[in-house]
Amino acid sequence: MNTATRRMDVEHAVNDLRHRTLSEIPRSLDRLIYLASMRDYNTGLYYHDGLASRFTQEVACEALADCHREAFNQLVSCSLRDLVGQMEEYINSTHTSPRNFVTAWRKLEPYRVAVPVETDPVVAHFLFSSFKIALAVLEARLRSAQPEPVA
Amino acid sequence: MIQLIFFLSIGALLFASLFFLARRNPRPEGSSGALIEARQALVALQAGLLPVELVQRIFANEDWEFVRSEAPAKVRELFMEERKKVALLWVEQVRTQIRSLRRFHSGSARSYARLNPRLEMELALSFAWLMSACRLLQVVVYIGGPYAAPRLVGAMANAASRACKISEQSLAFLNAAQLGLLSSGSTGQAAS
Repeated sequence: MNTATRRMDVEHAVNDLRHRTLSEIPRSLDRLIYLASMRDYNTGLYYHDGLASRFTQEVACEALADCHREAFNQLVSCSLRDLVGQMEEYINSTHTSPRNFVTAWRKLEPYRVAVPVETDPVVAHFLFSSFKIALAVLEARLRSAQPEPVA
Repeated sequence: MIQLIFFLSIGALLFASLFFLARRNPRPEGSSGALIEARQALVALQAGLLPVELVQRIFANEDWEFVRSEAPAKVRELFMEERKKVALLWVEQVRTQIRSLRRFHSGSARSYARLNPRLEMELALSFAWLMSACRLLQVVVYIGGPYAAPRLVGAMANAASRACKISEQSLAFLNAAQLGLLSSGSTGQAAS
């Protein structure tokens, strides 16, 4: 398969992925987490059985990597207000206690493994830093929402 | 016996000269490694560090406005601390990549007849200005925080983008195919 044909296949696979799967995931934070979870940490390759059956494993892998980079860039270009909003909605969608969620994310920093390969270190650092601030904002909101202890 | 000592001395002398030459200039000017490094610096600047959206985000005032209106003092402090770190890291990276490009251009100007002297001169001036601007911005951000010099940030990012364009023009004769050959050549050299 020559490069141009392969690139066209990847474009088709990207459109297929956007149309069938990613259109159901409106927030870029959720997309980033979903697409990062498609990646095998041992090899760095992405797997998606449905997409691989319609195209090839290599094409599916490349399409997932493209979409992962796109979701990452979208999240990087979000304002802090938007990131905090997306995190709040994400917490609600997971049905976990917001307090537990914030504590776990502050300790584990799971967003560090959600970065696409070959991301510029400064850009990755910027997003990690934004997550850290967003978690601090959320924690402050939770504290202020907590009812005053009865004396 | 005298002959043996004579030839051994010459051998030792040659070995020592080779050793010093190799230590003095580990990356010969105009080598494929230098070209690849220059290309990588260009990509890092153009695709990673200088896109307007990223620069605007790092130094976005609206983020500060949001934190100032929404969060307590402790979070505001954290925000300033974090943004300052990112800003300093960004300036440092831009400086490192610009320095890498400058090193290539100052070294390669003598090796490549196809480089345009006028462009090289323009680049030399841009690099000199950029290196000073980076240093100044580092000091200003360190002392005054990430929002202390928005105009200098903009001017520096624009100047760096312009320098990248000139450098790209200057390196246009090195197309991707040639770089691929160089890259595989240098890998082969490294492997052998």
